Amino acid sequence: MALPEFLAIMMIVAVCGLLMAGYPVALTLGGVSLAFAAFGHIVGVMDIGLLNALPQRIFGVMTNTVLLAIPLFIFMGVMLERSRIAEDLLETMGRLFGAVPGGLGVSVVLVGVLLAAAKGVVGATVVTIALITLPTMLRHRYDPRIAAGTVAATATLAQILPPATVLVLLGDQLNNSFQAAQLARGVFAPASLSVSDLFAAAIVPGLTLVALYLLFLVAVGFLRPGAMPPIPPDPMAPRGSALARQLGTALLAPVLLIAVVLGSILIGLATPTEAAAVGAVGAILLAALRIEGGERAWAWICIVIFVFLIVLRATSGLSRRPDLIVTLMLIVAGTLAVAIYQVWRAGYLAPTVTRTAQTTSMIFTILIGATLFSLVFRGLGGDDMVHRALSDLPGGAAGAILAVMLAMFLLGFVMDAFEIIFVVVPIVAPPLLAMDGVDPVWLGVMMAVNLQTSYMHPPLGPTLFFLRGVAPPEITTRHIYVGIIPFVAIQLCALIVLWFVPGLATWLPRVLYGG
Amino acid sequence: MLKRLTGLVKSIDSLTTAVGRAASWCTLGIVLIGFAVVLMRYLLGLGSIWLQETIVYAHAALFLLAAAWTLKEGGHVRVDVFYANASPRNKALVDLFGALLLLLPFAIALFWFSLPYVTRSWAILERSPETSGLPLVFVLKTLIPLFALLLALQGVAQAIRALVTLKLQQMIRGKAAR
Repeated sequence: MALPEFLAIMMIVAVCGLLMAGYPVALTLGGVSLAFAAFGHIVGVMDIGLLNALPQRIFGVMTNTVLLAIPLFIFMGVMLERSRIAEDLLETMGRLFGAVPGGLGVSVVLVGVLLAAAKGVVGATVVTIALITLPTMLRHRYDPRIAAGTVAATATLAQILPPATVLVLLGDQLNNSFQAAQLARGVFAPASLSVSDLFAAAIVPGLTLVALYLLFLVAVGFLRPGAMPPIPPDPMAPRGSALARQLGTALLAPVLLIAVVLGSILIGLATPTEAAAVGAVGAILLAALRIEGGERAWAWICIVIFVFLIVLRATSGLSRRPDLIVTLMLIVAGTLAVAIYQVWRAGYLAPTVTRTAQTTSMIFTILIGATLFSLVFRGLGGDDMVHRALSDLPGGAAGAILAVMLAMFLLGFVMDAFEIIFVVVPIVAPPLLAMDGVDPVWLGVMMAVNLQTSYMHPPLGPTLFFLRGVAPPEITTRHIYVGIIPFVAIQLCALIVLWFVPGLATWLPRVLYGG
Repeated sequence: MLKRLTGLVKSIDSLTTAVGRAASWCTLGIVLIGFAVVLMRYLLGLGSIWLQETIVYAHAALFLLAAAWTLKEGGHVRVDVFYANASPRNKALVDLFGALLLLLPFAIALFWFSLPYVTRSWAILERSPETSGLPLVFVLKTLIPLFALLLALQGVAQAIRALVTLKLQQMIRGKAAR
């Protein structure tokens, strides 16, 4: 092996090793890559002038309009959480399903999936879901193993359900690789892969996993009712019309919001960024509706007129009256401004803005660190080396994909999904996509499910550590490890099925977008 | 000496916090302008490159200018398999060496390599490639060295804070030994 390639391998080893020390990932990536670039320059195997390309790469990240969806989706998720819509949702769902054995567990999965879908930062998701749901489940005498397993699996699953942040980033990176792979094969009008494609592809596998989780919980509920006892009815709980109203506001509204956002992306009406902007405004309005007193009328007016406008537009009833449209739009803007003011006064807005800004900055700083890594790795000839290694593997494309999947699975123990997407995908995806018969959409879903599995796999899955950090003392590490096993088994089965039946991933995008 | 250093840390902290907090409100701007763009496009059939670019600028300013503040607030993910349970002394050691050997070289190099890139842009007062776009690409590009500079400052603060922690630990242990 030549010296530069040896350095490229050592760089990966050094990054993985140093990450374990616990210094922020983004800066570890940047610092280590820089050190290797400098060393490579000194021993004469790499020109450090290559780093002159770094600002242009960063500028490319800054002006990437696909990635604009990230802060918007995070804003939506954090707002739904901060305004306690998530907690209400769980309580209402629990009341709805609580009477049957395992009902509370089912509600945890459904709520977790609904709300966490908008977040995608696995650590934050586990912590939120665990804090909201674990005490409730333990209070109702759930087996701690099942409680811990349900929380860990649900929070991790949320990473691959659209509109997860992970899918947006993965879609963007895969598209770059897909274009590069086609150009390398001499295709001069390359097809592209959009984030919407990946969203559509992830839906069937994602929902299948949700269904399997639910099936498992219901089965346990019936076979061992002692492990997941039904919740006794609460005499104070609302009934009749009050219950209906509560279901409407706590359950229907957020479900509708997420359905509208996802639906408009999937049917191609809106780009992910546009849908996310509407979703974020929707989350503000839902938060405003929760404020007690007469002020919420403003949010109602805003919602009603907005929906009215959309309906009129869809039936093209107003296309000849732009003056009326503009007037109604101004009313929407005015009432929205009042609603935002109220949400700010209720103390929901400032924390949402802070959390959104810090999470976004965290993700993009990793992307910047990873950009330097890729640049140096390429400068040392690492790309060609990986390309050659993958093509020399026995079994052709299948062998190469299997090797990459295994590597990503192991890396998942050390790195966050973001680092893997930013660092590993640009290296391995172009050679894989250049091989015959590798569908980029299918590859993306395989990667996402694979990463997700690695995330909750004992003994090193990061989800388990996050859960350990916030779980009440009566839940031991052993409970978590044992509790997660059935979910990991479900997950591995799904991965195998997906391998042999790629149609699970490719069917929906084909139906929706053709090709 | 110690007092002067902690004073420096405080000024750095308040600078990055002020910049970061200001930048964080770009999130609300992105949400609202994004919503406005959607309304205009779907209801009136109007597109505005000017508004589109404003969102891009706000987004870039958001994640670049909030990075140093996020570091101070502990918002950058760490692999905390070991770090979470490490002693305060070991945590301080990780932060000290991380700041000196990883963060500072990276930030300084980024500043160094982006400077000529930005100067070139200023020299021609680079505008958007779109005719109706914002004429401020040189300002946008300036955010890159600014990001590096703020991050480097916060790295210095982090290193000093770690040093102070180590010093205090040493004093406590010294007392305990006596």
